[in-house]
Amino acid sequence: MSERNRLRSIFTLVLLNGLIPIRTTPLYIVNLLASPLSFLFFIYIVSHGTYVAYGITGGMVLTMLTVGTSLQSDLTHYRHDLKFQDIVVASPVEAPIYVAGMALSELVYSLPALGVFVVLFFAWGYASVVSLAVLAGVLVLVWAFASALAFTLATYFQDVRETFIFSPMISLLFTVLPPVYYPLSALPAWAQVASRISPTTYAASLVQGAVGLQPLSFSGAVLDWAVLIAFTVALFVIAAVKARWKEP
Amino acid sequence: MPSAISSVHLGKTYPKARPGAFALEDLSLEIPTGRVYGLIGRNGAGKTTFIRIAATQLAATRGTVFVLGHDIRTEERAIRAQIACVPQESRPLYFLNVEEVVYTYLKLRGLDGREARRRTKDALEELSLAQYSRSLVSRLSGGLRRRTLCAMVLASDADVLFLDEPTTGLDPIARREVWQAIRRASRENRTILLTTHYLDEAEALSSRLALIESGRLMLEGTPADLRARVRYPYRVTIEGSFPREELDSYGKVSEIEGGFLLFTREPEARDVARRALERGLRVSMGPVSLEDIFLDVVGKSIEEDAASSEKEETATKAAA
Repeated sequence: MSERNRLRSIFTLVLLNGLIPIRTTPLYIVNLLASPLSFLFFIYIVSHGTYVAYGITGGMVLTMLTVGTSLQSDLTHYRHDLKFQDIVVASPVEAPIYVAGMALSELVYSLPALGVFVVLFFAWGYASVVSLAVLAGVLVLVWAFASALAFTLATYFQDVRETFIFSPMISLLFTVLPPVYYPLSALPAWAQVASRISPTTYAASLVQGAVGLQPLSFSGAVLDWAVLIAFTVALFVIAAVKARWKEP
Repeated sequence: MPSAISSVHLGKTYPKARPGAFALEDLSLEIPTGRVYGLIGRNGAGKTTFIRIAATQLAATRGTVFVLGHDIRTEERAIRAQIACVPQESRPLYFLNVEEVVYTYLKLRGLDGREARRRTKDALEELSLAQYSRSLVSRLSGGLRRRTLCAMVLASDADVLFLDEPTTGLDPIARREVWQAIRRASRENRTILLTTHYLDEAEALSSRLALIESGRLMLEGTPADLRARVRYPYRVTIEGSFPREELDSYGKVSEIEGGFLLFTREPEARDVARRALERGLRVSMGPVSLEDIFLDVVGKSIEEDAASSEKEETATKAAA
């Protein structure tokens, strides 16, 4: 398949799994707005506005992770219930193209939520060239590793109901337990160490550092980037080696 | 004629299968280019497993398959560029309309917009789906959804089409429309590997057939070859009373509503038909159908399985 055809395939997947369903059922996009905005509202009320910045940055990270969990559900549903993966396997479309197209299509659903958070980000005065660049880089990495993880898991699930079990667990492990919605220092010492196994801890640290919510040294930022990139690469390698494009 | 698909001692054992169980065993087939090839067999016989392995969706355990000369073990990418598949129990994405299902599939395969649109229009017209082109899949009947999937792969540029029970749930008229499209694809020198439980369909479409039972090849050849290989290639239906013991001497007899069905050889068929006519009975006679062959071969296999299970059970009891 030529590069041009690969791009065409990716765009087609964005069309058929993103733009067309949204056109048919616009309410789909509310799904990705609901959770992060609920968290933000809750944090705003409880902290009397003090932690609202954490709610905004955390909301963006959660939105990107939700893209991953939605992707996981869609891929599992399409594989088992519609046999769509089998149709795609028996075609010139390669696994990375399928994942890239499907992950981008899920991103389409998240754009309104991201838009709301970006507006709030500007409104609260956190936007600067550095913070926007850091935010963009972090969100891309979170989207990428969440998508790689989603694809790998989706090729193992035997039923779409299994995703109902795993999706909340992934949200819990990646956004509630790690300090995405609060500063790392708010956790007890042992929990701070434990939270280091989650890539979102490093993502949150970078974003919180970039907007001045937490102090972050240059070496600390380099370490956070390195670990976040390493996590992402590791999840891509796992997806490449372990995901079941062809069934055993 | 060169083979489009060639399986060589193909074997498949699913992970977690009980010891000794296999889905396919030593299956060697040659599927000629530009023809429709029918795979028939009972549920669980191994037809879908064979299709899934040849379509590179499932790994083989032993042996291999060559598709257009490419080995499934090492040249998946080359194979996938030239194949298309309607899997068993597949359904189109329900939020698309019929036209979008076909069009996006063709775009996904890399066709440019104009070509994809032309092929989509032709395929929808050929399968009488044009009137539903803007209908959402979620609002279609099961038969129309299945037909949409057939249109999707038939519209593709693939040289080899794998159709796993493509007409399940279709009414007789819709089935014949799909047959027409399959025949046209075959005339365009495309190879079609078809599984079906409709034996009339297999016979009407296939230039060659393979009957698979319990993962093994039982019979293979043209429909005429298959008839020539069965014990009793003729069937005689007699309406009215005829001495059963006389019929038993001719071949395999079964009682049917208001008469008898006899499977026998051609001279005996002529003889018994003449004698029945002399008695003033109504008689019909002809070569066995594919369904008769299927029941004969599969029936024997079931009897053998039952006998061997009974033997094993007796031996186990005796040992105990």
